[in-house]
Amino acid sequence: MLNTDFIKQLRCQLVNLGCPIARVRRLVREVADHREDLKQAALSDGLSESAAEIHADTLLGNPLELAERLTMALRQSSWWGRHSIIGFCVLPLLAVPVLWSLLMFLSLWLAFAIGYALDQNRLHVAADNPANFHHMFLVVHGADCLAIALVTLLFCWLARRSALSFKWTVTACVICSLYAMFSWIRIAPHSLTLGLTLTPQWFRFATPLAVVAMAYAFQWRTVCRFDKEVAV
Amino acid sequence: MLTHLTVIGIVAAMKKTNPSFLNGVPELLVLRLLSRREMYGYQIVEEIRTQTGETLSFGEGCIYPYLHYLEAEKQVSSQRRAVDGRSRNYYKLTPRGRKRLGELTTEWKRVTTGISSLMEGQHA
Repeated sequence: MLNTDFIKQLRCQLVNLGCPIARVRRLVREVADHREDLKQAALSDGLSESAAEIHADTLLGNPLELAERLTMALRQSSWWGRHSIIGFCVLPLLAVPVLWSLLMFLSLWLAFAIGYALDQNRLHVAADNPANFHHMFLVVHGADCLAIALVTLLFCWLARRSALSFKWTVTACVICSLYAMFSWIRIAPHSLTLGLTLTPQWFRFATPLAVVAMAYAFQWRTVCRFDKEVAV
Repeated sequence: MLTHLTVIGIVAAMKKTNPSFLNGVPELLVLRLLSRREMYGYQIVEEIRTQTGETLSFGEGCIYPYLHYLEAEKQVSSQRRAVDGRSRNYYKLTPRGRKRLGELTTEWKRVTTGISSLMEGQHA
């Protein structure tokens, strides 16, 4: 039932259009059930087995068009699918500083938890100590890179979950990359500076690209596994 | 004439294929049917077709993303179950779906009463 030509074409097109694999499994199973019900109804009307199959396929229509309609409905069912431009072009610009602030807040909370912030003087002394300052340097720049990577990952996941095509993932990634390339952060003893620059920050620029490349590889691996699984 | 309730959008369902006054009708019909008993996709499509005297019809197979959306909104719940040797996903209404059905029914009655008044010329 799950390996008729109709169902194979439907499954293949759903995967090509970017539907999440879990959703493809469920849609294909339900459409296959539906097709079987249509076939049984045709059989009970006196049609032969092959005529009933043709009748069921005719009622369901072209599998490629059905896959497009199903994907479109899936996209329209989420806010991200309905407002892709806002979601994947504007929000990444806001998400990076918001997440960075959250991570910095978390770092400050950790500093508080290990006792530094209980005594303001200890923070000043730590900033003047090269070893301690090195730790602060790593925390700030680590939080910065982590924020960029997590935001890119978040938008990859949202695009995939909303069954959007890969172009939206790439769009969000490019925006994150450009934002990261022209913004900078500098920590010095007793000061933290944030700003925009015309000097490209290549490491920051590459971070979202690396994340999206990994997300794409993961997606490709999942699709290959799924193809192997249904071929058995 | 058969009106196809092809679900293109979910929030503004049928926006592209049907008059805007039919927005929300698929949700109302599906919730109403499920308020009577558990059903699977094919049954829902068939019931809509037969109970509306073939005036309204979902595109075959197009109901599933819609049911998944209602499930994500916690208005319906589903369970895979084997009945008479066939395994299918059965959908049933949740308390939230029942509440939503009440709201949609009230709204539908309000709109149809208004339209009926106008068509019959009561305020003329």
